[in-house]
Amino acid sequence: MTKLKKGQEEIVGFALIIILVSIILLVFLSISLRSSSAMEIQSYEAEGFIQAVLQHTSECKGTSEYLSVQKLIFSEREETCSDERSAREILNLTLIELCEKGWNVGENTPIKGYEMRLLSDGTEFLSVQKGNITQNYKGAMQDFSKRGIDYGVYFKVYYD
Amino acid sequence: MVKRLPKIGQMKIQQMAFMLIAVVLFFALVGLFVIVIRFSGLKQSSVILEEENAMLLVTKLANSPEFACGSSFGDSKLSCIDADKVMMLREHISDYSGFWGIAEIEIRKISSDSKECNLENYPNCGIIQVYSKNVNKLPASSNFVALCWKEGSDRGINERCEVARLMVSSEDKT
Repeated sequence: MTKLKKGQEEIVGFALIIILVSIILLVFLSISLRSSSAMEIQSYEAEGFIQAVLQHTSECKGTSEYLSVQKLIFSEREETCSDERSAREILNLTLIELCEKGWNVGENTPIKGYEMRLLSDGTEFLSVQKGNITQNYKGAMQDFSKRGIDYGVYFKVYYD
Repeated sequence: MVKRLPKIGQMKIQQMAFMLIAVVLFFALVGLFVIVIRFSGLKQSSVILEEENAMLLVTKLANSPEFACGSSFGDSKLSCIDADKVMMLREHISDYSGFWGIAEIEIRKISSDSKECNLENYPNCGIIQVYSKNVNKLPASSNFVALCWKEGSDRGINERCEVARLMVSSEDKT
Protein backbone atom coordinates (compact mmCIF):
# COMPACT_ATOMS: atom_id res chain seq x y z
CA MET A 1 0.00 0.00 0.00
CA THR A 2 2.78 2.40 0.99
CA LYS A 3 4.62 1.59 -2.21
CA LEU A 4 1.52 2.29 -4.26
CA LYS A 5 0.85 5.58 -2.48
CA LYS A 6 4.45 6.63 -3.03
CA GLY A 7 4.11 5.80 -6.72
CA GLN A 8 0.89 7.80 -6.94
CA GLU A 9 2.52 10.76 -5.24
CA GLU A 10 5.44 10.61 -7.65
CA ILE A 11 3.12 10.55 -10.65
CA VAL A 12 1.14 13.49 -9.27
CA GLY A 13 4.40 15.35 -8.68
CA PHE A 14 5.55 14.56 -12.20
CA ALA A 15 2.26 15.75 -13.65
CA LEU A 16 2.40 18.93 -11.60
CA ILE A 17 5.91 19.62 -12.83
CA ILE A 18 4.82 19.07 -16.45
CA ILE A 19 1.84 21.38 -16.01
CA LEU A 20 3.97 24.03 -14.30
CA VAL A 21 6.66 23.89 -16.97
CA SER A 22 4.10 24.05 -19.78
CA ILE A 23 2.36 27.03 -18.15
CA ILE A 24 5.71 28.82 -17.84
CA LEU A 25 6.49 28.01 -21.49
CA LEU A 26 3.07 29.23 -22.60
CA VAL A 27 3.51 32.50 -20.69
CA PHE A 28 6.94 32.92 -22.26
CA LEU A 29 5.52 32.21 -25.70
CA SER A 30 2.65 34.64 -25.32
CA ILE A 31 5.07 37.34 -24.16
CA SER A 32 7.37 36.74 -27.11
CA LEU A 33 4.41 36.81 -29.49
CA ARG A 34 3.10 40.00 -28.00
CA SER A 35 6.52 41.71 -28.08
CA SER A 36 5.92 45.40 -28.55
CA SER A 37 6.62 46.80 -31.95
CA ALA A 38 8.60 49.79 -30.80
CA MET A 39 9.02 52.60 -33.30
CA GLU A 40 11.50 51.51 -35.89
CA ILE A 41 13.85 53.80 -37.65
CA GLN A 42 13.82 53.29 -41.37
CA SER A 43 16.78 54.16 -43.53
CA TYR A 44 14.41 55.98 -45.89
CA GLU A 45 13.71 58.38 -43.03
CA ALA A 46 17.42 59.16 -42.78
CA GLU A 47 17.47 59.62 -46.55
CA GLY A 48 14.39 61.87 -46.46
CA PHE A 49 15.92 63.86 -43.61
CA ILE A 50 19.08 64.63 -45.61
CA GLN A 51 17.02 65.69 -48.64
CA ALA A 52 14.78 67.93 -46.53
CA VAL A 53 17.70 69.46 -44.61
CA LEU A 54 19.53 70.34 -47.82
CA GLN A 55 16.48 72.31 -49.01
CA HIS A 56 15.85 74.01 -45.66
CA THR A 57 16.18 77.81 -45.78
CA SER A 58 18.77 79.02 -43.29
CA GLU A 59 19.02 82.35 -41.49
CA CYS A 60 21.98 83.34 -43.64
CA LYS A 61 21.07 86.05 -46.08
CA GLY A 62 23.29 86.21 -49.13
CA THR A 63 23.33 88.98 -51.69
CA SER A 64 19.68 88.68 -52.59
CA GLU A 65 18.03 85.80 -50.74
CA TYR A 66 18.21 83.55 -47.71
CA LEU A 67 20.45 80.62 -48.51
CA SER A 68 19.41 77.00 -48.35
CA VAL A 69 21.57 74.57 -46.38
CA GLN A 70 22.90 73.14 -49.64
CA LYS A 71 23.96 76.61 -50.82
CA LEU A 72 25.52 77.22 -47.40
CA ILE A 73 27.58 74.04 -47.81
CA PHE A 74 28.78 75.28 -51.22
CA SER A 75 29.76 78.65 -49.84
CA GLU A 76 30.88 77.77 -46.31
CA ARG A 77 34.53 78.51 -47.14
CA GLU A 78 34.18 82.10 -48.25
CA GLU A 79 30.68 83.46 -47.70
CA THR A 80 29.73 85.79 -44.91
CA CYS A 81 26.05 86.36 -44.20
CA SER A 82 24.46 89.80 -44.11
CA ASP A 83 24.53 89.78 -40.28
CA GLU A 84 28.35 89.40 -40.36
CA ARG A 85 28.26 85.83 -39.13
CA SER A 86 30.18 83.29 -41.18
CA ALA A 87 28.34 80.79 -43.38
CA ARG A 88 29.99 77.92 -41.49
CA GLU A 89 28.75 79.21 -38.14
CA ILE A 90 25.16 79.45 -39.36
CA LEU A 91 25.45 76.09 -41.11
CA ASN A 92 26.57 74.51 -37.85
CA LEU A 93 23.78 76.14 -35.83
CA THR A 94 21.13 75.23 -38.42
CA LEU A 95 22.18 71.59 -38.54
CA ILE A 96 22.25 71.32 -34.74
CA GLU A 97 18.74 72.79 -34.54
CA LEU A 98 17.29 70.61 -37.29
CA CYS A 99 18.80 67.39 -35.94
CA GLU A 100 17.65 68.27 -32.43
CA LYS A 101 14.07 68.89 -33.56
CA GLY A 102 13.91 66.08 -36.08
CA TRP A 103 15.16 63.25 -33.86
CA ASN A 104 14.05 62.70 -30.32
CA VAL A 105 17.09 61.24 -28.55
CA GLY A 106 16.72 59.88 -25.04
CA GLU A 107 16.77 56.97 -22.65
CA ASN A 108 13.05 56.31 -23.08
CA THR A 109 13.02 56.58 -26.86
CA PRO A 110 14.24 54.02 -29.40
CA ILE A 111 16.69 56.57 -30.77
CA LYS A 112 19.90 56.63 -28.76
CA GLY A 113 21.89 59.05 -30.84
CA TYR A 114 22.71 60.49 -34.25
CA GLU A 115 25.64 61.75 -36.21
CA MET A 116 25.79 64.01 -39.24
CA ARG A 117 29.06 64.50 -41.09
CA LEU A 118 29.77 66.95 -43.90
CA LEU A 119 32.70 66.29 -46.18
CA SER A 120 34.30 68.31 -48.90
CA ASP A 121 36.71 66.47 -51.21
CA GLY A 122 36.84 63.62 -48.71
CA THR A 123 37.79 65.85 -45.76
CA GLU A 124 35.33 66.31 -42.93
CA PHE A 125 34.66 69.98 -42.29
CA LEU A 126 31.65 69.82 -40.00
CA SER A 127 29.94 67.26 -37.82
CA VAL A 128 26.94 67.25 -35.51
CA GLN A 129 26.59 64.50 -32.97
CA LYS A 130 24.34 63.73 -30.03
CA GLY A 131 23.71 60.79 -27.74
CA ASN A 132 25.36 57.38 -27.75
CA ILE A 133 26.82 55.41 -30.61
CA THR A 134 25.32 51.92 -30.59
CA GLN A 135 25.81 48.82 -32.72
CA ASN A 136 22.49 49.28 -34.53
CA TYR A 137 22.07 52.15 -36.88
CA LYS A 138 20.31 53.28 -40.01
CA GLY A 139 21.98 55.74 -42.28
CA ALA A 140 21.99 57.52 -45.57
CA MET A 141 24.30 59.66 -47.60
CA GLN A 142 24.05 62.24 -50.36
CA ASP A 143 26.80 63.26 -52.76
CA PHE A 144 26.87 66.33 -54.93
CA SER A 145 29.50 68.52 -56.52
CA LYS A 146 30.00 72.11 -57.55
CA ARG A 147 32.93 73.84 -59.26
CA GLY A 148 34.95 70.63 -59.22
CA ILE A 149 34.58 70.09 -55.48
CA ASP A 150 32.85 66.93 -54.27
CA TYR A 151 30.62 67.29 -51.25
CA GLY A 152 29.08 64.55 -49.14
CA VAL A 153 26.49 64.52 -46.37
CA TYR A 154 26.45 61.42 -44.17
CA PHE A 155 23.77 60.83 -41.57
CA LYS A 156 23.40 57.96 -39.13
CA VAL A 157 20.74 57.33 -36.49
CA TYR A 158 21.68 54.97 -33.68
CA TYR A 159 19.01 52.96 -31.92
CA ASP A 160 18.54 50.03 -29.47
CA MET B 1 -5.38 -10.47 -3.71
CA VAL B 2 -8.89 -9.91 -5.02
CA LYS B 3 -8.95 -6.53 -3.31
CA ARG B 4 -5.56 -5.35 -4.71
CA LEU B 5 -6.20 -6.06 -8.37
CA PRO B 6 -8.61 -3.18 -9.07
CA LYS B 7 -6.26 -0.80 -7.29
CA ILE B 8 -3.41 -1.83 -9.57
CA GLY B 9 -5.75 -1.36 -12.54
CA GLN B 10 -6.76 2.09 -11.32
CA MET B 11 -3.11 2.88 -10.87
CA LYS B 12 -2.33 1.80 -14.42
CA ILE B 13 -5.20 3.86 -15.79
CA GLN B 14 -3.97 6.85 -13.82
CA GLN B 15 -0.45 6.34 -15.14
CA MET B 16 -1.73 6.10 -18.68
CA ALA B 17 -3.85 9.22 -18.22
CA PHE B 18 -0.88 11.19 -16.94
CA MET B 19 1.28 9.85 -19.73
CA LEU B 20 -1.35 10.87 -22.26
CA ILE B 21 -1.56 14.35 -20.75
CA ALA B 22 2.23 14.62 -20.85
CA VAL B 23 2.38 13.44 -24.46
CA VAL B 24 -0.41 15.80 -25.54
CA LEU B 25 1.24 18.71 -23.76
CA PHE B 26 4.59 17.85 -25.32
CA PHE B 27 3.15 17.78 -28.83
CA ALA B 28 1.15 20.93 -28.15
CA LEU B 29 4.34 22.70 -27.14
CA VAL B 30 6.26 21.39 -30.13
CA GLY B 31 3.37 22.55 -32.33
CA LEU B 32 3.38 25.95 -30.68
CA PHE B 33 7.11 26.31 -31.28
CA VAL B 34 6.69 25.42 -34.93
CA ILE B 35 3.83 27.91 -35.25
CA VAL B 36 5.87 30.62 -33.51
CA ILE B 37 8.84 30.05 -35.80
CA ARG B 38 6.67 30.15 -38.92
CA PHE B 39 4.66 33.07 -37.56
CA SER B 40 7.78 35.10 -36.78
CA GLY B 41 8.87 34.67 -40.40
CA LEU B 42 5.50 35.87 -41.59
CA LYS B 43 5.58 38.74 -39.14
CA GLN B 44 9.00 39.79 -40.43
CA SER B 45 7.92 39.69 -44.05
CA SER B 46 4.71 41.57 -43.24
CA VAL B 47 6.76 44.24 -41.43
CA ILE B 48 9.04 44.55 -44.46
CA LEU B 49 6.02 44.82 -46.76
CA GLU B 50 4.40 47.36 -44.46
CA GLU B 51 7.61 49.40 -44.39
CA GLU B 52 7.86 49.33 -48.18
CA ASN B 53 4.20 50.25 -48.59
CA ALA B 54 4.46 53.11 -46.13
CA MET B 55 7.63 54.39 -47.76
CA LEU B 56 6.12 54.11 -51.22
CA LEU B 57 2.91 55.79 -50.16
CA VAL B 58 4.60 58.72 -48.43
CA THR B 59 7.14 59.16 -51.23
CA LYS B 60 4.41 58.82 -53.86
CA LEU B 61 2.27 61.42 -52.09
CA ALA B 62 5.15 63.85 -51.64
CA ASN B 63 5.96 63.64 -55.33
CA SER B 64 2.37 63.62 -56.61
CA PRO B 65 1.18 66.65 -58.64
CA GLU B 66 -1.17 67.72 -55.82
CA PHE B 67 1.74 68.14 -53.38
CA ALA B 68 5.06 68.38 -55.23
CA CYS B 69 6.94 71.63 -55.69
CA GLY B 70 7.63 70.82 -59.33
CA SER B 71 9.75 73.62 -60.73
CA SER B 72 8.03 76.40 -58.75
CA PHE B 73 11.09 76.72 -56.52
CA GLY B 74 13.89 76.64 -59.09
CA ASP B 75 15.18 73.20 -60.06
CA SER B 76 12.80 70.33 -59.59
CA LYS B 77 13.38 68.93 -56.13
CA LEU B 78 12.78 65.55 -54.57
CA SER B 79 10.47 65.18 -51.55
CA CYS B 80 9.55 68.85 -51.71
CA ILE B 81 5.99 69.89 -50.90
CA ASP B 82 4.52 73.15 -52.13
CA ALA B 83 2.71 74.48 -49.04
CA ASP B 84 0.80 77.12 -51.03
CA LYS B 85 -0.60 74.42 -53.28
CA VAL B 86 -1.46 72.21 -50.29
CA MET B 87 -3.35 75.05 -48.58
CA MET B 88 -5.48 75.48 -51.68
CA LEU B 89 -5.95 71.73 -51.96
CA ARG B 90 -7.13 71.74 -48.35
CA GLU B 91 -9.90 74.17 -49.28
CA HIS B 92 -11.17 71.80 -51.99
CA ILE B 93 -10.50 68.54 -50.18
CA SER B 94 -14.11 67.35 -50.49
CA ASP B 95 -13.43 66.72 -54.19
CA TYR B 96 -10.69 64.29 -53.20
CA SER B 97 -12.56 62.05 -50.72
CA GLY B 98 -11.43 58.48 -51.33
CA PHE B 99 -8.90 59.59 -53.96
CA TRP B 100 -5.83 58.38 -52.04
CA GLY B 101 -7.54 55.51 -50.21
CA ILE B 102 -6.15 56.59 -46.84
CA ALA B 103 -7.64 57.99 -43.65
CA GLU B 104 -5.45 60.99 -42.84
CA ILE B 105 -2.76 63.19 -44.38
CA GLU B 106 -0.98 65.69 -42.20
CA ILE B 107 2.14 67.81 -42.61
CA ARG B 108 3.98 68.92 -39.46
CA LYS B 109 6.85 71.39 -39.47
CA ILE B 110 9.52 70.12 -37.10
CA SER B 111 10.53 73.55 -35.89
CA SER B 112 7.19 75.20 -35.26
CA ASP B 113 4.47 75.06 -32.67
CA SER B 114 1.42 72.85 -32.90
CA LYS B 115 -0.81 75.60 -34.25
CA GLU B 116 -3.04 74.24 -37.00
CA CYS B 117 -2.84 76.13 -40.27
CA ASN B 118 -5.74 77.95 -41.86
CA LEU B 119 -5.87 80.71 -44.44
CA GLU B 120 -5.71 83.38 -41.70
CA ASN B 121 -2.54 82.25 -39.88
CA TYR B 122 -0.65 80.61 -42.78
CA PRO B 123 2.39 80.36 -43.02
CA ASN B 124 2.97 81.15 -39.34
CA CYS B 125 1.65 77.82 -38.16
CA GLY B 126 2.92 74.31 -37.59
CA ILE B 127 0.42 71.71 -38.79
CA ILE B 128 -1.36 71.46 -42.11
CA GLN B 129 -4.12 68.92 -41.82
CA VAL B 130 -4.78 68.15 -45.44
CA TYR B 131 -7.30 65.38 -45.12
CA SER B 132 -8.92 63.50 -42.26
CA LYS B 133 -11.59 60.84 -42.43
CA ASN B 134 -13.73 60.23 -39.37
CA VAL B 135 -12.71 56.59 -38.87
CA ASN B 136 -10.37 54.55 -36.64
CA LYS B 137 -6.83 55.13 -37.84
CA LEU B 138 -3.67 53.04 -37.76
CA PRO B 139 -0.46 54.64 -36.43
CA ALA B 140 0.88 57.09 -39.00
CA SER B 141 3.72 56.35 -41.39
CA SER B 142 5.87 59.36 -41.99
CA ASN B 143 8.88 60.72 -43.74
CA PHE B 144 10.79 63.96 -43.80
CA VAL B 145 10.00 66.41 -46.58
CA ALA B 146 10.91 69.98 -47.40
CA LEU B 147 7.85 72.20 -47.03
CA CYS B 148 8.29 75.24 -49.27
CA TRP B 149 6.29 78.40 -49.80
CA LYS B 150 6.69 81.88 -51.23
CA GLU B 151 6.70 85.00 -49.09
CA GLY B 152 6.16 88.53 -50.25
CA SER B 153 8.57 91.25 -49.07
CA ASP B 154 9.67 94.80 -50.02
CA ARG B 155 12.29 93.33 -52.35
CA GLY B 156 9.92 90.96 -54.11
CA ILE B 157 9.09 87.34 -53.50
CA ASN B 158 11.26 85.15 -51.29
CA GLU B 159 11.20 81.39 -51.20
CA ARG B 160 11.35 79.59 -47.88
CA CYS B 161 11.65 75.91 -47.12
CA GLU B 162 11.41 74.17 -43.78
CA VAL B 163 11.92 70.58 -42.73
CA ALA B 164 8.58 68.90 -42.05
CA ARG B 165 7.12 65.45 -41.62
CA LEU B 166 4.52 64.15 -44.03
CA MET B 167 2.32 61.80 -42.02
CA VAL B 168 -0.08 59.32 -43.56
CA SER B 169 -2.54 57.11 -41.64
CA SER B 170 -4.52 54.27 -43.08
CA GLU B 171 -7.93 53.18 -41.88
CA ASP B 172 -7.97 50.52 -39.15
CA LYS B 173 -10.32 47.91 -40.56
CA THR B 174 -9.89 45.38 -37.72
